Amino acid sequence: MKRKLGALEKVDADLPNLQHKIRADPPSYHDDFLNQYSQYSSLHELFLQSPTTTDDTGIVRLRDLIDFVSHVADCYPALTARFATDLIHLLQVHHATLDTELRDKIVGSLVLLRKKELIDSNVLLQTLWPLLISTPSKSLRALLFQKIVSDLRSSNSKTTNHKLNRSIQTTCYNLIASDPTSAKGLWAVKLTRELWKRQVWTDSKAVSIMEAAALGQDAKVVSGGVRFFLGGDQEREEAADDDSDEDEGVDMSRLRHQAGINKKTAKRDKDLKAAAAKVKRKEKKKNAPHPLNFSALHLLHDPQGFAEKLYQQHLQSAQPKARLNLEQKLLVLNLVSRLVGLHKLTLIPLYSYFLKFLTPRQPSVTSFLAALAQATHTLVPPDVLEPLVQKIANEFVSEAAAAEVASAGLSGIREVCVRQPLAMNETLLQDLVQYRKSKDKGVQMAARGLLSLYRDVGAEMLRKRDRGREAALKLRNRGSKDGGLDASRRFGHVEDGGIEGLDLLEKWKEEQGLDIDALDEEAEARGWENWDAESDDSDSSGGWINVESDGEDIDISDSDEEMAKAAGKLGEAPANVKATEAEKENLDTNGHATPSADRNTASLEPEAAVRREEQRISKLATTRILTPADLAKLQELRQNAAISAALPSAKRRKLQAAAQLAAQARHADDAVTASDIAGLAALSHKATKAEKVAMAKGHRPDGDETDKNDHRSTTARRKEKKASEGKSTTNKEKARKKNFMMTLGKAKRKGKRSLVEHRAILKAHVDRSRKGGRRGNK
Amino acid sequence: MGSSAKKKREKKADFQKPKLKVGKARPKNTNATDTSFSSKSIILKQQNLSESGRDSSALFNHNLSLLSSKNDTQRRDALQYLTTVCAATTKSDLPQPASAIVAKAQSLILDGSNGVRSQVLKLFKALPTNDFGPLDQLVIYVRAGMTHLSSDIRLSALDVLDWLLVSKGTAVMATPGGWVKMLRTFQNLLSWQSQNGKVASAQGGSWTATKTGSGNLGSSKLLVHQITTLSTFLTVGLTLPAADPHAAAKRASMCFPLYQMHAHMLPSRSNAFGYLNLFGAVRDQESEGYDDADERIAVFNELGLLDAFRSGAKEAKQEAGEVGRAASNLEKALKLADVG
Repeated sequence: MKRKLGALEKVDADLPNLQHKIRADPPSYHDDFLNQYSQYSSLHELFLQSPTTTDDTGIVRLRDLIDFVSHVADCYPALTARFATDLIHLLQVHHATLDTELRDKIVGSLVLLRKKELIDSNVLLQTLWPLLISTPSKSLRALLFQKIVSDLRSSNSKTTNHKLNRSIQTTCYNLIASDPTSAKGLWAVKLTRELWKRQVWTDSKAVSIMEAAALGQDAKVVSGGVRFFLGGDQEREEAADDDSDEDEGVDMSRLRHQAGINKKTAKRDKDLKAAAAKVKRKEKKKNAPHPLNFSALHLLHDPQGFAEKLYQQHLQSAQPKARLNLEQKLLVLNLVSRLVGLHKLTLIPLYSYFLKFLTPRQPSVTSFLAALAQATHTLVPPDVLEPLVQKIANEFVSEAAAAEVASAGLSGIREVCVRQPLAMNETLLQDLVQYRKSKDKGVQMAARGLLSLYRDVGAEMLRKRDRGREAALKLRNRGSKDGGLDASRRFGHVEDGGIEGLDLLEKWKEEQGLDIDALDEEAEARGWENWDAESDDSDSSGGWINVESDGEDIDISDSDEEMAKAAGKLGEAPANVKATEAEKENLDTNGHATPSADRNTASLEPEAAVRREEQRISKLATTRILTPADLAKLQELRQNAAISAALPSAKRRKLQAAAQLAAQARHADDAVTASDIAGLAALSHKATKAEKVAMAKGHRPDGDETDKNDHRSTTARRKEKKASEGKSTTNKEKARKKNFMMTLGKAKRKGKRSLVEHRAILKAHVDRSRKGGRRGNK
Repeated sequence: MGSSAKKKREKKADFQKPKLKVGKARPKNTNATDTSFSSKSIILKQQNLSESGRDSSALFNHNLSLLSSKNDTQRRDALQYLTTVCAATTKSDLPQPASAIVAKAQSLILDGSNGVRSQVLKLFKALPTNDFGPLDQLVIYVRAGMTHLSSDIRLSALDVLDWLLVSKGTAVMATPGGWVKMLRTFQNLLSWQSQNGKVASAQGGSWTATKTGSGNLGSSKLLVHQITTLSTFLTVGLTLPAADPHAAAKRASMCFPLYQMHAHMLPSRSNAFGYLNLFGAVRDQESEGYDDADERIAVFNELGLLDAFRSGAKEAKQEAGEVGRAASNLEKALKLADVG
């Protein structure tokens, strides 16, 4: 009897066991819970009287009881109403002196209570956040940060919890704004960056927190804020990629096959269903539209003001409030120049700031060069940039300078001039271009880069023999036309945009015999009607009645028509142009047909044709509203053009154009890095044999390993890829690989077939092909 | 294929028996390592070799510090030592005041080991009762022990409470929470919830849940003990102090020229103004200390504890044997509250 009692008691003295029983049946164990709760409150009271004593000798400790109560608190909400506030109070008052295990347990219990929705997120975060900032314990900070992030993530997982986000963002902002000199703001920066990375916070409020951090007075906070603007978005994209990459997913067909073979149990059946659901969910997630997230730099409220303040506060003033070292200063400079380049801001004092740093002896001068290039855009006055370019040329580019220095200088000048070609004067350019005769490969390439740039944007500044054929012809053509400066060579000139494929549409209309100027109203009305009819179809299910005055067209198109007509009447110039254009086009085709035609005119012709084309396009787009029918046709024409462009002869031209376009796009929005400037210096350095061998083996000089150089044929590589994906070879391949001995029998038999047999075989073959294979192509 | 004479010789050498001299071991190499270790740790048989040299007060303090040792036999031995010392010496000779000893030992009420708990009670009994200091923490420990998961600890906590009531009954009542909270604890333990309580109505009201919650499956020993202790507790708490009509006159005559001297003297109790609660947290009705028996009776009735206990006692009385007897004692004690 006694033994049995002892055993039972032992089971009863087990808090996890009691917890389990309570979860199963709360009303029955009400009294037991009450006892444990009163014991918790006794121990809690004792603890409050002497917070530093530990209760390690007892068999039930306060932290066990806290754990127990927090696990079952949702079963007795009325009894445990004060539990959460007790814990919060305990943590707030005694967090510095608490036993670490107890402290961590209290934090965990609070999070648990939040999960059971006994307290709301706001209360939890308002408890944990001040602790995170004030506690001296590193491990507690790590724990709190992790809990805060995970709670914010989970409360934003289904829908964005705007209210909570707003309150936490305000707290973060206030932390930085209330005391800019303290390093505590780093926690706000860390939290914002983490949540930005995880795409929980994507709004301008988060960006404004970082704005405040970047303008702070503590070096760490400032660099945290600046780093966010420079790398936060990249980090976010990478995290998103990682998310989509991770866990390749279950192989459904394999699982189904296994389920067919293994013993069928309810559990396995459930597992299979769960796997199927998971795959489906993932598929759905993959097909979901990409969330449209703006980059932090675009969400800034006032980029001009921000850039000015950054510059004044951290770079310009002789006695800055935050002491930044060179690396941090470079970060700030990088951000300022990025902002200036991206938003085309005007920050004139920035350029003279660069002046004192542009010497080869300056540490990390390539970064300064990159920043300068980044800060340059078409709206920067050339007379501000000219001294800088001059200084770079004087300091860096000379015969006496090392090859690396010269190539870095030339690259820097080129990057500046790409963005503002007017920053260069003629004598300097002609001087710099001379370096393409240098013996050093790096310098040579850098000078050639500069030369090719100016062949494009300002050929008349080059010496005649440097211009090259194409540029010279272009120049002559222009000179004969309007005799003046190229439009793009004027400061502040902006290229006008167009609609892709509009020229195709125009050409098509011409071919159809429709005059653009005198397009009959009827045809246009047809275009709109068609659209109306379509929309009617889609709406008919809704039972909407289309109220429309009969036959009347939309006013806008009418007036437009009139305007177009008026324009036609007013000046006959367009018509004249058209006429001449038709002639020239004829000429053009002739030129193509007869290669013996005059070289000059032939090469002149395309230029002129392009210019005329431009005029016409602008006319079509500005004088008419494109009807939906037009747009549909436009789309079709665009596709056709794309298909014809894919032909091999057109491919090369297209590739060139695409590369040019990509280069332009890069200049507009991307950062310039120091490696862009110093990149060509690698050419100055001649690789040793050992380096070449390493390179061939796939070891890159920057340390990361790539695939070994693969010398196999494309077919072999493709085959390997197929095999690794578990895909089969073609029938042809199988036939080719078949063992010779196995084919012998059939080959022998084949010659001895009777005619009847042969007929049957051929017939079967025809039948099969009609059916679409042996299994049928259903 | 060893063809040369040299190779043949080498081969032969493998099979030749070495000539050994009898009676003399081969000398050890100079750089040989001794690998005959079998133990990884060094064990000290005694922690302190100069046992005899210590004076008694140092030994006492050492044993006091051993109360928080991890080893339960060590704790028990230390308690035993302290008990013998305390029993042997008078109050003035103790190296530490009784309050310090109690503060150190009181947490052992919740100790896992049986021996330690019984020894703690012995130590308490050996200590001089009149300089215990404030009993707040001791009472809380007792309360925690009474609601402990293990019924052994509950029993020993009840023992401690019995002793407390006998030796320092009024002081227990006066501690903050010593009256109402203790009664609530008893109520929970016996699951005698008041009839109009939420729990009863939640369960359907007419019938109560089984009373096995307190873990007294085989015997009613714990239940009896609980009821007995409760009746003692109530008796102590509800009894009005016997008023001596001539006390004031006697006191006045003792120190004749002075008038109401006791009011102007330094207080003889520790923490004399504790009831003002100047520095503690704000107390509610439950954690308030009730110095006076009249107050206690009022609160007892006000909170509806009387009805709950009475119905509980009635129910328990119907059980035969010891439980019934204890319950009738309790009913007697409850009558004290009826008067007030």
